[in-house]
Amino acid sequence: MAGTMSSMAIKGRAQSSRPWPTPWAWLLLPGSVFLVVLFVVPLTGLLLLAFGMPNWTLANFSRIGDTPVYLTVMRNTLEISVTVTALAFVLSYPIAYALTTGGMVLRTFLLIGVVLPYFTSTLARTFAWIVLLGRNGVVNQFLLELGWVSQPIPLLYNRFGVILGMTHIVMPMMILPMYTVMSSIDPKLMRAAKANGASPLAAFLTIFLPLSLPGLIAGILLVFIYCLGFYITPALMGGLSDVMITMAISSQILEQLNWNFGAALSVVLLLAVLSLLWIGSRFFPIEQLLGFSDGKLGLSVTRRQLGAKMLMRIGSAANALDRWLPSMRGRSVPILASCLAVLLLLPVLIVAYLSFSASSYFVFPLPGYSLRNYEAFLFDTLWVRATFTSIRIALMAVAMATALGAMLAFGLSRGAMPGRGAMIALLLSPIIMPTVIVAVATYFLLARWGLQGTEFGLALGHAVHAIPYVVVIVVANLRDLNPSYERAARSLGAGPWATMRTIVAPLVLPALIVASFFAFLASFDDVVYVLFLGIGKITTLPMRMWEGIRQDISPTIAAVATLQMLFATIVIVVGTLLRRQKKT
Amino acid sequence: MLMKATVNGTDVTTAGITLHNLQKRYGSAMAVDDVSLSVSPGEFISLLGPSGSGKTTTLMMIAGFEMPDSGRVLLGEKDITRLPPHRRELGVIFQNYALFPHMTVAENVAYPLRMRRMAKAEIETRVHRILDQVHLGALASRYPHQMSGGQQQRVAIARALVFDPPVLLLDEPLGALDKKLREHLRNEIKTLHKEVGKTMIYVTHDQDEALAMSDRVAVMHEGRIRQVSAPKDIYRRPADLFVAGFVGEVNLIPVKLKSGIVHGPAGESLPSPPWQDADRDATLCVRPEHLRLEASAGSSGGIQGRISGMTFVGDATILEFRSETGLQLLSKVLNVSDHSMEVGDPCVASWVANDATILTD
Repeated sequence: MAGTMSSMAIKGRAQSSRPWPTPWAWLLLPGSVFLVVLFVVPLTGLLLLAFGMPNWTLANFSRIGDTPVYLTVMRNTLEISVTVTALAFVLSYPIAYALTTGGMVLRTFLLIGVVLPYFTSTLARTFAWIVLLGRNGVVNQFLLELGWVSQPIPLLYNRFGVILGMTHIVMPMMILPMYTVMSSIDPKLMRAAKANGASPLAAFLTIFLPLSLPGLIAGILLVFIYCLGFYITPALMGGLSDVMITMAISSQILEQLNWNFGAALSVVLLLAVLSLLWIGSRFFPIEQLLGFSDGKLGLSVTRRQLGAKMLMRIGSAANALDRWLPSMRGRSVPILASCLAVLLLLPVLIVAYLSFSASSYFVFPLPGYSLRNYEAFLFDTLWVRATFTSIRIALMAVAMATALGAMLAFGLSRGAMPGRGAMIALLLSPIIMPTVIVAVATYFLLARWGLQGTEFGLALGHAVHAIPYVVVIVVANLRDLNPSYERAARSLGAGPWATMRTIVAPLVLPALIVASFFAFLASFDDVVYVLFLGIGKITTLPMRMWEGIRQDISPTIAAVATLQMLFATIVIVVGTLLRRQKKT
Repeated sequence: MLMKATVNGTDVTTAGITLHNLQKRYGSAMAVDDVSLSVSPGEFISLLGPSGSGKTTTLMMIAGFEMPDSGRVLLGEKDITRLPPHRRELGVIFQNYALFPHMTVAENVAYPLRMRRMAKAEIETRVHRILDQVHLGALASRYPHQMSGGQQQRVAIARALVFDPPVLLLDEPLGALDKKLREHLRNEIKTLHKEVGKTMIYVTHDQDEALAMSDRVAVMHEGRIRQVSAPKDIYRRPADLFVAGFVGEVNLIPVKLKSGIVHGPAGESLPSPPWQDADRDATLCVRPEHLRLEASAGSSGGIQGRISGMTFVGDATILEFRSETGLQLLSKVLNVSDHSMEVGDPCVASWVANDATILTD
């Protein structure tokens, strides 16, 4: 696996570094050992298990091919993933475009509309959709009231519900890489096109669209991969006929206890993801889109002539039409984007609103305001205990992820060593690989050590998942930390330790705080790891929500989801403020 | 609307540009404040000013990327104020050139022709012809990032000229380059102007560039045009203190005008061009190369003082002069022969009457 990933990452960095590790590079050691032991080893173990080690066999794989049920599962997975990716792409493009080209007010609004849902837990957002789409949900209440339907229509526990919920959840993931690439396009190029006679539409088709293609490909790829490995939303919103591969894996491991077959299914998913990544790396160094850019966004790729010739022809044709097209004075895209951003925000906002209900059912509009749902949360020992469990585990995970991630970030930014590209690929894989696979693999490993069902074991899993976020945030910050500050301090008489304490630490501290906040959030919102590593013994807050959603959709969960969202908002605001403070 | 002029025996399309009372406001700030300017067909005019003077905004209003709050832009006789940029038919050369990174040189140059839906064969001929003209025929299949700054500029020029626009707008095209290259490319643009005979409007903050290249220079400050004149007059006869100070080095001497005679800070009479108007305070401008420092005063008077410093700058020596009243002046003397002046020597600063300018604002 590392081999495939490394070829992808090295492409991003053309320049060759010195062949031997420099002192800074030694900082990479602890983190990479951690990741090898808790990420590479378990995935390898998974592979071996799938082939029936020590009794080597291909039986598990041939069983997949022979059983119609699993072929149906594969088809479901593909159909749903393709549909969701396509829908998300169509709906995301206008937002990303307006986010790049819009005015200050529009951009701020859109950014909130994208970032807030992005950092609100998947569970909370899925819950929002269940509340909206249920038989007695908000949407059906509306439709009945308006007299458009005579009885509630089924919106949930079917293909429609899964696709709607998944699309909503993956959209920010599609928008962010698109936005990264689009915002690197020099706006002067569009002016130049117009000065050369291109109408706004023709300029978009011949200049902006081809230059934004790498971002589109990356967004589509990341979202498609995410969909293939998506577990929470399909499991909660899908009907009996919408079983996806992740649900089959989970059922094999947790219910049937057929580890070998579950491992084989995981390997199929893993191979699908890796081959997609490999194809994607032909077009774009993917690590750059996860926020890890060493240099400028790859020129080699912007030159790719992907369909550019055809776009040129269409653009030139569009130019001839220009005089007959109605002029919207460029307002149609911002309006469309704003509507879509409202739709992105609406589900969570409605849940937040409903959480203040005085009724014990979800009624829209509220019969009256009260804090009863919040009281129910605060005075229920099970909820409170779950919250403390979550906090304990998250703190352990944050401690490990921040310490190791910071060292890795320093090593990567300052150090030079052979195989640096492979290193970056290894670091970022935990957030690209489907969580279900990593969790299953880690479960097998922890089971061997007797750490399954312990809080420490779960924290180890969460730390692996959080390290990439820490590295990305700290590396971005270190790029601004000019080494000449440290040289200046040394020339003024500060020793290495004093330089660290007086120069580096104060400058890096804000990034470390932000990074640990996001690491905390990653652990605090997780439910997939708990499902596998907790083996029913650990009940974290999301785990309790998960169970609550499956059993009865109690309004207490709305209060918890709202609190989670509030917490995410605080993290974003603190992160933004710390970043701004640094700039002034 | 367009006129055909004959340059070097070939017909070229060219047209004048007229700006009528252009105004543009950003919030409460007046970016362009009542700018009127008439550029004749085939003229090379520079908009010169510091950053924030409104020169780029003015150019962008001509190009159509900014809409004026009021006022009109005419191309020849035609009002183009509200026309979107892609229908103006003006060639624009952008700062850093804005070459499309995903297209080859040939594709970049063909772009405006494709947008005009020209026949393929015609496009090919035109692209070839213009690339040969700028000596880039061999590099047609390269991408912009594979070229040097000078080559990129030539691609930008070729792209802006290939559709034969009547006017070329240039937005600080030499801004990002080093000094040697700037001087070289400056001459290239000037030669080009002679060859193609098109009206050129050139925005720059570099006074040397503006003076060296232009038929006329329009100096802008705080959104207004302060003076429009031939380079020589901008330098020799600045219209106000801003122009005098912005273009070249200048000595500013506070004077009193009384019954046709100019009196210096100590009341001494000073050489100056004739003055008819009422008595008042004014400023006398003298360029350092016109200021002479001599052992004794000539017949037309001067300022008494001492040499307070000397700086050798290669082709010339800058002498610093300090008058008895504390006024500091600079004199630039070409190093054609040794001069015997030493720091501390008493001397008199004077100049030829017609080399000084009286400014009363």
